[in-house]
Amino acid sequence: MALIELEAVTRTYQVGTESVRALRGVCLKVSRGEWLAVVGQSGSGKSTLMNVIGCLDTASSGRYRLNGHDVSHLSDDELADIRNREIGFVFQTFQLLPRETALANVELPLVYRGLGARERRERARAALEKVKLADRMAHRPNELSGGQRQRVAIARALVTEPSLLLADEPTGNLDSATGEEIIRLFEELHRMGHTLLLVTHEPRLAARCPRAVRLSDGEIISDGPGREVALQNLRDDPRLAAPEPR
Amino acid sequence: MRFQVDFVEGSRIALRSLRAHRLRTVLTTLGVGIGVSTLLAILGITQGLDTSFANQLASIGSSSLYVTKMPWVQLGNWWQFRNRKDLDLSHMEAIRAQSTYAVAVCPMIDRAENVSFLGSELQRVQVVGTTPEYLAVSGFEVAQGRFLTEADDGALRNVAVLGMDIVDTLFPHSNPIGVTVRLGNRPFNVIGTLSRKGKILDQSQDLLVVIPFRSAAAQFGRRRGIAIGVAVESPLMMDPAEDQLVGVLRRARGTPPEKPDDFAINRPEQLASTYEQLTGALFGVAVGIGFITLLVGGIGIMNIMLVSVRERTREIGLRRALGARKRTIVVQFVLEAVVVSAVGGLLGTVVGLGGAKLISEITPLAATVRPLTVLFGVSFAAAVGLLFGIWPAARAANLDPVEALRYE
Repeated sequence: MALIELEAVTRTYQVGTESVRALRGVCLKVSRGEWLAVVGQSGSGKSTLMNVIGCLDTASSGRYRLNGHDVSHLSDDELADIRNREIGFVFQTFQLLPRETALANVELPLVYRGLGARERRERARAALEKVKLADRMAHRPNELSGGQRQRVAIARALVTEPSLLLADEPTGNLDSATGEEIIRLFEELHRMGHTLLLVTHEPRLAARCPRAVRLSDGEIISDGPGREVALQNLRDDPRLAAPEPR
Repeated sequence: MRFQVDFVEGSRIALRSLRAHRLRTVLTTLGVGIGVSTLLAILGITQGLDTSFANQLASIGSSSLYVTKMPWVQLGNWWQFRNRKDLDLSHMEAIRAQSTYAVAVCPMIDRAENVSFLGSELQRVQVVGTTPEYLAVSGFEVAQGRFLTEADDGALRNVAVLGMDIVDTLFPHSNPIGVTVRLGNRPFNVIGTLSRKGKILDQSQDLLVVIPFRSAAAQFGRRRGIAIGVAVESPLMMDPAEDQLVGVLRRARGTPPEKPDDFAINRPEQLASTYEQLTGALFGVAVGIGFITLLVGGIGIMNIMLVSVRERTREIGLRRALGARKRTIVVQFVLEAVVVSAVGGLLGTVVGLGGAKLISEITPLAATVRPLTVLFGVSFAAAVGLLFGIWPAARAANLDPVEALRYE
């Protein structure tokens, strides 16, 4: 059974009097244990796709089954619970609470699950050990490097043992060496059996994923091994070939 | 389980954020605190006034009526009372003979005289000329020596019973019984003293000298009429007793049936109702001011909560993404507002009570605060926080998580 099953999913926004069709009938199946990259230019709808898959947003039409359950028509509270149990988010800007320690940041999703303090602490500690930050647990985000911050964020995503890890441009705010460090961590998580979905506009990153889909104007225009899709992407948009645009 | 998430974690988060913005918290707290303390000080003083006034009124003697030419509380033109016929002893005798409720009746004439003893002098002291039954009417008790007797009155003896204030001033260290004092320039022999009654609205009731009625008439003359004091069996009989007195007096004075009463029957409660009218309005205005202050404090809270929500938009987005329900966010922010205002309420209560206490120390106004008022102050402040915190909290919860996460 597929973990993610999208059937003809559309998402239409109302911007003033104009309706913007961000997704136009997306069909996608992702199995458990897969590592999938979603590539596409800005405005192609990849963020919207990620929000729908992450249950932060709901489809305007079509059907979305996560882990076998139809989540297209759930209430706000039910969606919050699903995000808590099934999804681990990794953001481009890390989104750590600046006043809390690494440990407290990682504990946060467990708070909303209603776990007791002791169990939260133990699980958060284990998650931080997994990303090799056991010695930085009491540090605040501003005492950590960019790579370390992103690893705290990944630990926070892992701590609930979610079905799916959703990463939105996880290396976007990091230099290439640190970015590499994070990608290696993803590779390791993939080997350990986690299901990963990575949204990126960097072909280099997509090329390392076993599978990639390419989005354009709200539709999936290619789906295949990461290397092929990345190359295709490069051919269509030579600007992306320039090394390190920033 | 959900309760734990909402309230325990909510208050933890709220406290953390309040600690993170100490100055802001203190200033916001101050707003509510001032409101609550204003309100409490006003309540305290008013309650104090009410209690002390009630005690004072009780000291007048709650089951006595006083018949006078002019009413104690005068509404309308003074001269219309002035032209009335004076009351005299025949009216008193009519009451004594005909009133079935009266247990004691006494005539009273009073004037102001200087009281002196061995070079010390008290000026313009109230000197009451009356009969032995005055004791029952006035509610005084004899502290030392004895009160007037029929014999004192019949023999026109120059004897005097002193109020406690006079004893305090003229005889601080000695026994006044048997001593001769001068009222004006006439010698009077002190035969007794009266127990202390205290003050009514800062007016002492113990600054008086009681002498026999006929001695007073003989020594000081009797140009003005008398007043008549009537003690009634019990406070419950006041109304029928008053009705009966009206009939008795109209007959005795020959008041034509079509004319209104040409005398006044006064009761101590009349003072109370006048007092209530006065303080009621004052109290209303003061409470209004207190509420406005609280309202301003509440708006301050709302303002700071809106800032807090805006500042933490991304945090709210993140919490929602990690599985916080809308209600959890609402509770978090409402608790923040409630905690700020409850702390303000507590501070305000302390300051308000202190203020009331201070006022009662340095002014004659007495302030008492019931424990319930403290509870009222704190919970009222918390309610203000709840009221003014809900809207910003609802705004926070209704943020679109996607938008909130992207907020710069």
